[in-house]
Amino acid sequence: MKEEIALSARAISKYFHEPETFQVLKDISFDVKKGEFLSMIGKSGSGKSTLLYLLSTMDTDYTGEITINGECLTGRTQNQLAAFRNAHIGFVFQFHYLLPEFTALDNVMLPALKLGKKSQEEIREDAYSNLKMLGLEAQAMKQSNKLSGGQQQRVAIARALINQPAVIMGDEPTGNLDSKNTDIVFDIFRQLAAERGQTIIAVTHDDEFAQKSDRILELGDGRLLN
Amino acid sequence: MSRVTNLKISRAHLTSRVKQTMVAILSVTFGISMYIFMNGFMTGVNDTQTELAFSTLAHIHIYNDLPEDNTNLLQKKYGEDKLVNLRNAKVIQYTEGIKNSAKIIAAIEDHPAITGITPQVNVNVFFRNGATKLNGVLSGIDVKQESALFGTEDYITHGSWKSLEDRGDGVVLGAGLAEKLSLTLDDNVTVITADGVSRNFKVIGIIKTTIGGVDNTKGYVRISSARQLISKNQGYVTDIQVNIKNFNEAAKVADQLTPKVDYKVETWNESNGQLQAGNDLRNIIAVAVSLTILLVAGFGIFNIMNMTVNEKIKEIAILKAMGFDGTDIIQIFLVQSVIIGVIGGIVGIIFGYLVSFVVSYIPFRVATLDTLPMVYDPQDYILAFIFGLITTFVAGYLPAKKAANVDPVEIIRG
Ligand SMILES: Nc1ncnc2c1ncn2[C@@H]1O[C@H](COP(=O)(O)OP(=O)(O)OP(=O)(O)O)[C@@H](O)[C@H]1O
Ligand SMILES: [Mg+2]
Repeated sequence: MKEEIALSARAISKYFHEPETFQVLKDISFDVKKGEFLSMIGKSGSGKSTLLYLLSTMDTDYTGEITINGECLTGRTQNQLAAFRNAHIGFVFQFHYLLPEFTALDNVMLPALKLGKKSQEEIREDAYSNLKMLGLEAQAMKQSNKLSGGQQQRVAIARALINQPAVIMGDEPTGNLDSKNTDIVFDIFRQLAAERGQTIIAVTHDDEFAQKSDRILELGDGRLLN
Repeated sequence: MSRVTNLKISRAHLTSRVKQTMVAILSVTFGISMYIFMNGFMTGVNDTQTELAFSTLAHIHIYNDLPEDNTNLLQKKYGEDKLVNLRNAKVIQYTEGIKNSAKIIAAIEDHPAITGITPQVNVNVFFRNGATKLNGVLSGIDVKQESALFGTEDYITHGSWKSLEDRGDGVVLGAGLAEKLSLTLDDNVTVITADGVSRNFKVIGIIKTTIGGVDNTKGYVRISSARQLISKNQGYVTDIQVNIKNFNEAAKVADQLTPKVDYKVETWNESNGQLQAGNDLRNIIAVAVSLTILLVAGFGIFNIMNMTVNEKIKEIAILKAMGFDGTDIIQIFLVQSVIIGVIGGIVGIIFGYLVSFVVSYIPFRVATLDTLPMVYDPQDYILAFIFGLITTFVAGYLPAKKAANVDPVEIIRG
C-alpha cells in the first residue's frame, strides 16, 4: 500500500523585512506521511516557530507551496484558510491561549461549535472525553483562568483535538508540563497517530521527546539540516 | 451554530466588564432620552406659539392686494432704457376689498381640506369716548363662524359674544382698548371712520386674547353694521379667512385655491414669517443638541469597544487560529455594541418619557400656559431609537473591523 502524504512543503522561503531584510527560511522542502509523528528541533532562533505558522496557514507571507490532505493552500483567501484550519488543523501554542471567561469544557467545545457538524450534545460528550483523556475530568466545569498553567496547556491540547484534525501542530506543546504530564501528552500523540492516522508535527526543545517520535526534522539557520 | 457560539462569546465579553458596559449603555440612554425630551419640548413650544397666533390669525387669508408700487407707473410702460419724469403723482379711485364674497366662498368651500371660512369687513377707525380718541380696527364679523375659526368666544371676559348676533349696535372691545377708553360693559363708544362717518355702539362684551396688538386696538361688530358704517353693499368684505385641517399644508392648499380666486391668497407663514422662522430655528436647535449628545455617546462606545478589542486581542488571535474568520470576529464585537445600543435605546425611551412627563408638570404661568408645554410624538421616540442604533452600530463597527484585521501570528508569536 502506497503511503499517503498528509502534508508537503515545497521550496518554502520567507523573509522578514523589519528591522532589516533577512531570510528566515531558506528553500525548505519536506513531506509528512499520514499518521506520522514528527518532531522539529533546532537552536533558538533557527526558524521553527516561523515555519510552523506557515504550515498552519496562519501566515501567508512566503514563497513556495504548502499542500495539506492533497489540497494546495498557497494563495487561498483568509476566510477559506480559516475554514480549512477549523476543519483540518489543530494547533497547540507555546503559551496556552484559552478564553478566560469560559469553562475548560466550553473552551474545548469552541472549534467544534464553529465547525457545526455535530449537535451540541455530541460535542459536549466529545469535549468531555478529550478532557478525561488528558486527566482533566475534574476540571471540566472550572473557569479556565482558574486552572494551573499545566492544566491550561492540556485544555489547549484537548481543544486542538476536538475536530479530529488531519494534522495536529504544536509549538512546544509540552513546554509548560512536568515530566509526568509530558509523558501523558506524548502517549496521546502517539496513540492519535497510530490509531486514528492523525499526523503530528511538534516543535520541541525536549530531546527525549524528539527521540521517541517517528522522525526528527532539524532546522539550522533557516535550512533543513537532515 | 457558529452564530450562537459568536453570541455566547459576545455575551461573555459584555458580562466580564459590567462597569464599562453600564457606562456605554448609560451614555446611549442619556443621548436618546435627551433627544426625546428636547424634541418633545420644542414641539410643545412651537405648537403653543402657533396655537396662540391662530387665536387671531387664520391659516389662509384672501384679500384684495392693492398694486404695490404706484410711484411711477409710466416707467413700467416705457421700459428701463427711457427716463420718465412724473411729478406729484396721485392715486385715483381703485377697487378696494372684495365685492362678490358669496361667489368666492361658494367656489372654495367644498375643498376637502377646508374646515372653516369666515368673511370679515375690517375698517380702520377712531374709537372715541368723550375726549379720549384712539386709533384702532373695527372688525365686522360673522358671529358664529368667527368664533368657530378662532375660538373668539372663549376669550370673552365680560359680557357675551353671542349677543352680538342680536344687536346691530353692539360692539365687543379688546380689553386694553376698553381700559384706555375708560369703558365698561353697557357704556357707549363712538366709532369714526376715515371718511368722517361716526356712529355710536354699545359695549356688550370685553375680550382678552393673548395678543396685545389685538387687545389694544380691536373692536368687533356684526358684519352688516360694519358694511353700513362704510356704506357698502351686501356681499362686500375686506378679508376672507380660511382654516384648514393641517396648518402645515397651508401652502399646498393656497396653491390649489389661487386659480379659483381673483384675489391674493396668502398663507399664515407668508404673512408671519417670524412664526415659521421661530419654529424652524427651535427645531434645528433641538435636533442639533440631541444629535451632538448622541455623537458624544458614539465616541464613548467607540472608546470602550476599542479598549475591549485591545484587551481581548490574544483571544481574537486564538479564535482566528482555530478557524473563526473575519466575519465571525466582526459579529462578536458588533453584537456587543448593538446590544449596548438596544438596551440603551429602550432605557432611553423610557427615561426620555419620564423626563418629559416630569417637565410637563413644572409650573409656567405665561399667557394661556399653566405648565411647560410638552408633546409626545411617537415619531420622535422611533427616530431617537433609530439614531441611537445607527450611532452604536457605526461606533462599534470600526473597532470590530480592527479586531477582524488582527494578524494572529503577530499576537501568538508574542
Ligand atoms: N516578526 C518578526 N520580525 C522580524 N524577525 C523575526 C520576527 N519573528 C521572528 N523573527 C526572527 O526570525 C528568526 C526565527 O524565529 P523563530 O521564532 O521562528 O525561532 P524559533 O526557532 O522558534 O526559536 P525558539 O526556539 O526560541 O522559539 C529569529 O531570528 C527571530 O528573531
Ligand atoms: Mg519558537
